[in-house]
Amino acid sequence: MWKQPYFVIGFSILAFFLVGSFVYEWIWGNVPRQIYYVMENGRAVEGAPLSPSWQYPLGTDQYGYDLLGKLMLGAKYTILAALAVAALRMLIAVPAGYILGIYLDKHRKWLSSFADSMHYIPLTLFAAYVLTPVLWMPEEGFSTTLWERIAIQVVMMAILTVPIVSILIANEAALLKDKEYILAAKTLGAGRLRIIRKHLYPQMREKIAVLYGQQVMETFIILAHLGLLNLFLGGTKVSYDPLFGDPPMSISYEWAGLFGSTFRYLQGAPWLPLMPVLFIGLAIFSVSLMMEGYLRSKKPKIKKIANPHKTIRSSNGTVNSYGRKWCG
Amino acid sequence: MKALLNILMAISGIILAGSLPILIAGWLLGEWRWQAYFESIRTTLEGLWPIGEITFFNYRAGQEIALFPNVSAYIVYSLEILFMALIAAVAVSLVLTVVTMLLAEKVRERVKMVLYFLESIPDLLIIMLAQLLVIVFFKQTGILISKIAVAGDDRIYWLPALCLAILPTIQLYRLSMLTFQEEERQMYVELARALGFSKVYIVLVHMFRNAIISVFFQSKKTMWFMLSNLFVLELMFNLPGIMLFLSGNMHPMGFLVAIFSFFLPMFLLYSFGEWFFISRRHKKAVA
Repeated sequence: MWKQPYFVIGFSILAFFLVGSFVYEWIWGNVPRQIYYVMENGRAVEGAPLSPSWQYPLGTDQYGYDLLGKLMLGAKYTILAALAVAALRMLIAVPAGYILGIYLDKHRKWLSSFADSMHYIPLTLFAAYVLTPVLWMPEEGFSTTLWERIAIQVVMMAILTVPIVSILIANEAALLKDKEYILAAKTLGAGRLRIIRKHLYPQMREKIAVLYGQQVMETFIILAHLGLLNLFLGGTKVSYDPLFGDPPMSISYEWAGLFGSTFRYLQGAPWLPLMPVLFIGLAIFSVSLMMEGYLRSKKPKIKKIANPHKTIRSSNGTVNSYGRKWCG
Repeated sequence: MKALLNILMAISGIILAGSLPILIAGWLLGEWRWQAYFESIRTTLEGLWPIGEITFFNYRAGQEIALFPNVSAYIVYSLEILFMALIAAVAVSLVLTVVTMLLAEKVRERVKMVLYFLESIPDLLIIMLAQLLVIVFFKQTGILISKIAVAGDDRIYWLPALCLAILPTIQLYRLSMLTFQEEERQMYVELARALGFSKVYIVLVHMFRNAIISVFFQSKKTMWFMLSNLFVLELMFNLPGIMLFLSGNMHPMGFLVAIFSFFLPMFLLYSFGEWFFISRRHKKAVA
């Protein structure tokens, strides 16, 4: 795995953001540089927001804060949140999927049609709808702390798509369950738990890893979408002052918030909303690099004959679940 | 019968989800608000009838408006954009797939690789770049190719539909590439090739018929993803569609109406598609 260039590049990008984020805070503190205007020959030539220059590579925001500094400070929140949401989702969905596929196989059909109905609810909309009471600051202020809100948000975002993911795993497990070597193991007296542990899990380990990567990517997108709705990671500070109401602000400098609170500046200062989204795209890209590298390291021989993407597709289970439907 | 059960399950799921924020608001204060939750479900269901009298507060107009015909105009507009983008995505990705299938194996692998990495572009980036391009083009040449936001009662179509179609096209393209390639390994393709049919003929006539079915069944995830995209698209272009309408009406009734406006057409589409493909398969098996 560590010899695969794809994996190493993807991993380094993510690690750079994460480590860089902590190092930045450690060296320069948690407030980025601020500058109000640029002086040239004793005259102010440009006021905030400054456009990108050598000194401020990504420019500054409307209050003169260095955008690169904000992005680096916020990197840890966004990346760790996405990793955590996906990890928690898999932790719930994998055991649930196995239980469903092996122990409750009779109920799998109708449960999967129930989970199927989730495909008609846009995920962003659903997330925004259930997270609004948590993240939008009420008039009297938050009743929860920042970390509580982050925890609640992570848990809820994880649970939202647990049904779909566990059905995928259940279908996959049910498919493998009828394979001959498993029937043979059963004849030899292996219990269900042993079959899951010794046969199904090792068989599906790669698919589960890829599924995890896909969930991380999806979570990044949903976080960005929520940012557009002014629902930021860890809550949105809302000013209820009728006269001097500040725009909704992100409490940490996480990327979705940086994007959501500056979308209005797209025409005047395009770097403000573009850069955070570009960084999110970069994070997603590095995850997909890691997935590709991981698969190539696992299947060095098949690479030439078939294609490395094949596993990715069948891992999302739709091939098997829907493919089987019409085969009878 | 099975379809009826499915639709009932889905509807009850949506209704149960609609009042969830009440439970969550309770959890934040450390209490269980089951009573308020079921009360809210009950009032929502009661409010549904008579359907003609449902009204919503509209922030754009600053007044109460009726579900019919006002809100349904929003729904129609959203669905128009969604289906325009969907049809474009399906058509373009299938044409590209057929063309790519005629190329050499090595080129195909390259194409698939590029597509795989293109999929990691966030939809927000595409929308913003499209808007910026229109602005830059306007500043350079003075020609406005398309409006980038809706003000008042206008409707803009092709630019939002294009933005919405790009990512699904990439996804469907890669998906159908994989399906076609899998199909290519089947015995009947080898037989056809041995009988001397040309490559174009085999891809277009034999493989296409079989591959299209599994592409259809796998496209559900792409549709799901498109719905989220449509949501941000309406916000960013300020389109007067059902999603934008919902963001001003975040209560159980608004949620229910907005979700159903998508659920019904899409459910019909997929149920019809399933029925169509399965019955065709049976017919073939009999004959």
